[in-house]
Amino acid sequence: MTGDAIWYEAAQVVGITNALNVAGDGLGALGAVDEASAPPETRALLAEIRSFYGGGDGPPGFRLIAHDPAYAADVWAAARRAYGDNRLARHFKEALAFAVSVTTRSASGASFHLSEMRRLGVGPRGVMEIVGVTQMFSSYTKIADTLQLEPDMGDIAPLDPTPAPGGPAG
Amino acid sequence: MPTVRLRDAAEYPAAAQKLFELSRAWFNYDFAEPPAMSRVMAWDPEFGGPHGRAMKRAMGPGEFTRGEKEMVATVVSGVNTCEY
Repeated sequence: MTGDAIWYEAAQVVGITNALNVAGDGLGALGAVDEASAPPETRALLAEIRSFYGGGDGPPGFRLIAHDPAYAADVWAAARRAYGDNRLARHFKEALAFAVSVTTRSASGASFHLSEMRRLGVGPRGVMEIVGVTQMFSSYTKIADTLQLEPDMGDIAPLDPTPAPGGPAG
Repeated sequence: MPTVRLRDAAEYPAAAQKLFELSRAWFNYDFAEPPAMSRVMAWDPEFGGPHGRAMKRAMGPGEFTRGEKEMVATVVSGVNTCEY
């Protein structure tokens, strides 16, 4: 777990998870797209999402933003990149998304990413491990904030000297 | 600036020194002073003790590695907008 690349991946998961949870939890008034009467590009997009998620519907937010299929397709392209296997494994990215969803009190996100963790092979012990870390660090953070503690562990992690992907080596 | 005066390790009783040794081993890093959170937790062992055990139980290797769990912890801290 060294180097900056994995942290960029983690940040992508956090960001897109929050974006989809915002839609999934907050846009119910828009109503989900009716796939049967939707234009072909919308149906194709939803079919691609189902394929990625093993036949499931995917994050609930997509059916709410799919009223604009071009916009939804771009969001999906970013989400697919963020959640796909890369340096971080897909099941672990779902664990991160679950932790983010629980921490931000996103009921739809927590439910969806819990299901995905299980579908991708995370067992009951693994689920409780993520619950434990999420809960304990939700405690530590609030204790630190209440006492206004200043960061004092930044020197533990070494700096990553590698350039950005494709960039010139220093 | 912290709300409380963080005591140096030397100001804690002998029993707390054991906790600081455990903290140093946990982070595998030789701090000049134990991290602020370790000193906060050592203030009241009846709280810090079980809290620390729950943390170590959650962070120990299992289906996920310690490194993966540290990343989850970082993400949770970030989402909670905790700079510490």
